[in-house]
Amino acid sequence: MFSYIARRLVLMIPTLIGITFVVFMLLALSPGGIGASLRVSGGQMEASKAAQLEAYLEDRYGLNDPVVYQYAKWLGRICPVKFGTRDQVTPSGELIRPPKSLVTPWMKESLYPDLENPEARKNEPIDTGSLDTDEKKARAYRTAARDYAKARADYIVATKELKHAYARYAKATGIEGAVDDDGNPRESRIPGVTIDAAAPSWKPVQAAAYKVLETYEIAEVARDRLSTIFGIKPFDEVGVPVLPGLVSLASPDLGTAFSRGRPVSDLIADALPVTLLLNLVTIPIIYLIAIPSGMLAAARQGTLFDVLSGATYVAMWSIPRVWAGVLLIGYLANNQYLGWFPVSGLHDSDAASFAFLPTWTDGEFHRGYMLDTLWHICLPVACFVYSGFAVLSKQTRAAMLDNFNADYVRTARAKGVRNIDVVFKHVFRNSLLPLITMFVTIFPFLLAGSVVIEKIFSIPGMGSLVLEAINLRDRELLLANTIIIAVINLLALLLADILYALADPRVTYD
Amino acid sequence: MTSKDEQQKTISGIDVMRGVGIDRAKDFWADAWDRVYRRPGAFCALVWIGIIGFFAIFSPLIANGLPIWLVQQNADGTTTASSPLWQNLTATDLMLLLGGFIGIPWILIPMKIGRGHRLGMLITLGILSGLIIVLASAVSGYFGDSGASRWAREIEQTAWFVPVSTSVICIICGAGFLFIPFVDRILPRTVLVVVTCLLTGLAVGSRWNEPLINYEKYQEMAADGDARAWYTLVPWSPNESRTDLYVVPPGLTVKEKLDEMSEKPFGDRQFIMGTDGIGRDVLSQMMHACRLSISIGLISTGIAVLIGVTLGALMGYFGGIVDLLLYRLVEIFMAIPVLFLLIVAAAVLPRNTYVMMIIIGCVAWTGAARFTRAEFLKLRSQDFVQSARAVGLPLRSILFKHMLPNGVTPVLVDSSFAIASAILFEATLSFLGLGPEGQASWGKLLSSATGVTGTFVWWLAIFPGLAIFLTVLAYNLLGEAFRDAIDPKLRKAAH
Repeated sequence: MFSYIARRLVLMIPTLIGITFVVFMLLALSPGGIGASLRVSGGQMEASKAAQLEAYLEDRYGLNDPVVYQYAKWLGRICPVKFGTRDQVTPSGELIRPPKSLVTPWMKESLYPDLENPEARKNEPIDTGSLDTDEKKARAYRTAARDYAKARADYIVATKELKHAYARYAKATGIEGAVDDDGNPRESRIPGVTIDAAAPSWKPVQAAAYKVLETYEIAEVARDRLSTIFGIKPFDEVGVPVLPGLVSLASPDLGTAFSRGRPVSDLIADALPVTLLLNLVTIPIIYLIAIPSGMLAAARQGTLFDVLSGATYVAMWSIPRVWAGVLLIGYLANNQYLGWFPVSGLHDSDAASFAFLPTWTDGEFHRGYMLDTLWHICLPVACFVYSGFAVLSKQTRAAMLDNFNADYVRTARAKGVRNIDVVFKHVFRNSLLPLITMFVTIFPFLLAGSVVIEKIFSIPGMGSLVLEAINLRDRELLLANTIIIAVINLLALLLADILYALADPRVTYD
Repeated sequence: MTSKDEQQKTISGIDVMRGVGIDRAKDFWADAWDRVYRRPGAFCALVWIGIIGFFAIFSPLIANGLPIWLVQQNADGTTTASSPLWQNLTATDLMLLLGGFIGIPWILIPMKIGRGHRLGMLITLGILSGLIIVLASAVSGYFGDSGASRWAREIEQTAWFVPVSTSVICIICGAGFLFIPFVDRILPRTVLVVVTCLLTGLAVGSRWNEPLINYEKYQEMAADGDARAWYTLVPWSPNESRTDLYVVPPGLTVKEKLDEMSEKPFGDRQFIMGTDGIGRDVLSQMMHACRLSISIGLISTGIAVLIGVTLGALMGYFGGIVDLLLYRLVEIFMAIPVLFLLIVAAAVLPRNTYVMMIIIGCVAWTGAARFTRAEFLKLRSQDFVQSARAVGLPLRSILFKHMLPNGVTPVLVDSSFAIASAILFEATLSFLGLGPEGQASWGKLLSSATGVTGTFVWWLAIFPGLAIFLTVLAYNLLGEAFRDAIDPKLRKAAH
C-alpha cells in the first residue's frame, strides 16, 4: 500500500510539471506576458514602486528572456529541491537570495558606445572581519540591501528616462517604425540606426545615457557589497542540505503579490482554509442526502417516486450555480425580501469578540463564533449541495440497479432473505464502491464552483483570491493559486483511490 | 401498378435479390431519432432549442432600435425612404438571415436527398461562410487598429483594400472547401461553394467597418415630425442605453417613467422585461444573447470534439508509447478543474466571442478523447480493421473512414451534455465579467441583478437565469434521451 502511495506521488510530479507548463505558457504568451502588471498599472503606480516591481520581476523571471527560460527560472523557485547557494531567512521570515547580476545598460553598443562612465567605481572593500556578531552582520546586510535597492531603482528609472528620450528623438527625427504602440522604442529597430548627433532632441538622449551609466555603476558597486555581505551568511540558511553546497531541500517560494504587498503564501494560507471549510462541510451533506434518496429510487424502480426524483435530478443538475446563488442571496438574504441570512462574508464584523460556543447571558442569547460561522455559510453550502447531490443520487441509483440485477441478489432472494436485508446488506454494500469514485467527479466540481459562490457571497477564499488577482492583473498570484488548486485536486484524487483500495478487498495495488 | 397489387404478386427469389418487397430497416440514427422524439421531455427540449435557435437567427429583425422603414420629409417637399435597420445589419446578421430563410425550408421540405445529408451540406457551407467572416473581421481588426503600423494603415486607406482582401479570403477558404466531399459530384459542389463564397464576400465587403449607430437621431426625427419611422416588434437594440430609463420594472412604458415623454410617439414604448442598470431593454438583450449562447455551445463543443476525437483515435489505435504520452496530456487537463482553467485563460486572453469559443474548446476536450480512446482500443483488434490494414489503406482512411463511424456514438451522445456545460461555462464567465465585450449575454445580465448598491433587481435575476436554466436543461434532457435510445443494454432491459 505504501509503495503504491509513493508511486502515485512520484507520478504526480510529471503531471504537476505539465500543469505548471500549460498555465505558465498561457500567462506568459498572452498579451503583456508575465510582467503584465508592470505594463498595465505602470502608469498609475509611483515611479519608485514601479521600479521596485520591475526589479522584482526581473530577478524572478528575467523579463527579456525567452519564455522557456522564464518558466525554468520560475520552476526553480517553486521547486522544493534547490541547487547552488542556499537562500537565507531573516528572523521575521523574509526570504533573502544572493543578488542577481544587473542588466547591462540599455542599448549601449548601438546608441552610445563611446560614452564613458564619469566616475570610476568607488569600490571600497568591506572589512568583513569587523562584522563578528550576528547582529552586526544583520545590520550591515540591511544597510547594504537598502542601498542596493535604492541604487537599482534609480538605475531602472534612469533607463526608463533614456527610453523616453530616445522615443522623443526618434519621433522628432522621423525614424520609421522606431516606436511601438505604447510609446516605447522598438529594440529590434535600434541597431543600425544612424544617429544624427546634431539634432536638438539628441542632447536629452545623451544626458539620459550619461545618467544611466552613472546609476549603473553605483548599482554595480552596491551589488558587489551586498554580495560580499551575503557571502558571510548574516542570517540562517533555509532548508535542509542534501549535498552540501550543491543540492538542498526547502519549501517552495511562491513569490510576493505586489498588488497586495504580501507574500503569496501568506495570502493563500489565509484563503485556503476558508475554501476547504466550505468543501468539507458540503461533501458529507451531499453524501448524507444523496445516498438514501438514490437507494429509495432504486428500490422502487419505475414508481412515481423514481420518475419524479429522476426528473428532479436532471433539473437540479441543470440549474446554473450563478443563478441559484443570485436567487438565494436576493430572496433569502437581502433585506428587500426575507433577509434571514447575512448577505456577505464569513463572520459578523464583531465576531472576534464572540465566545466560541453559544452562550446564554443576561437572559439574552449570544450565538457565539461557531454558530455565527455556520449561519454565514448556510447559503453558500446550500448552493454547493444541490447540484453535487443530484449527480450523486443518480449515480447511487444506477449503481444499486446494476447490483439488483446481479446473480447473487437472485440467489439471496431465492433463499428467502428479507427484502430489507437484500437492499441493505447485499446490494448497498456492493454499490458503495462507485460512490467513492464519484468523489473524483464531485471534488473538482466543487473546487471550481467556489470561485463563483465565493464571488456571489463575498467569502474571502481561494476563489475570491483568484478573481482579485485577475482584477489587479497580478500574474504571480494567479499562477500560485492555480498550482495550489491543482495540487489539492490531485491529492484529493489520490485520496479517492486509496479509499477505494481500502474499501474493496479485490483491488490490490502491489 | 399500386403497392397493393405488388404485395399480392408472388415474389420470386430473383425479386428478393433485387430488393423487391423488402422493407428497408431504418438506419441506426433514424431509429435513435425516433426514440428521442417519442419522449415528451426530449420533445419539449427540442422545441425550446428551436425557439432559441429562431431568436439566434432572427433577433436583429425582431428586436432592433433602428427603424425598419424610414420616410424622411425633405426641405423641398419630396420624401426619401430608406431602411436604417437593413443598412446597419452586420455581415454575420445577413448571412444568418440568409441561412435561416434558405436553410430552414431546405431541411424541413421532404426531398429525395436524405435529411442528414442535407443538414451536413448546410453545416459545411455555414462553416465556410463563418470562416470567411471570422477571417475578414480579423483582417479588418488588424489593419483598422489604431496601434497598427503605418504601412498597414496606409494600405487600409486605399480604395482597393476591401475588395481585394475580401476576395483573397473568399478564394482561399473556397478552394479549401472544394476538397471536402460534402456533395459527391464535383460540379454541384463547386457551384455551392462558389455561390456561398460570393454571397458571403458581398455581405462582408459591403459591411466592412462597424458603423457608428445613433439611435436617438431617428427617435428625434420622428418626434419632430421630420420623418415617419416604423419599428420592429421590440423597438430597442441590446446595446442602446438610455441612462434616464435605468432599472424600469417590467411592463412599464416610457411615459410612465418619464413624464416629459408623454407627448411624443416614443412615450408609448413598453419595456416588456424592464431595463437594466444603465437603461438597456432586457427583452432585446435576452433575444440577442440567444445567438451567443447557441453559437458558443455548438462551436466550442465542435472544437472540443475535433481535438478529442483526433487525439483519442491516435491513442486508441496506436496504443503503447503514443497512448502513454498523449494520455499524460489528458491527465494534465483533467487535473485542474475545467472552470478554473477557463477563468484563468479568459482573464488573460482578449475578450471576444471567437477567442472564448476556442478557449472552451481547447480546455473541454478530455471527455471526447477518453471516449474515443476506449472505443478505438476495442475496435482495433476487430477483423474489419485488420483487413483494412492488410489491404494497405492509408492511416487517415483506416482511422476516420473505417473505425470512426463505428466508434463515434458515445462521443456524439456525450456532446449534448458538453454543449450544456459549454453554455454554463459561458454564462459563468460572463457573470464573472470575463465574457466577450460588447455582447449581450445572459450571464452578464444575471450579474447585474445584485448591483453594487446592494439592491436586488428581480427581473434581472429571473429572466436570464431562467433562460440559461432552460437551455442547459434542454440539452441535458436531449442527451439523456439519446443515451437511452442508443444504449443497447437499457434497450434490452426495457423489452
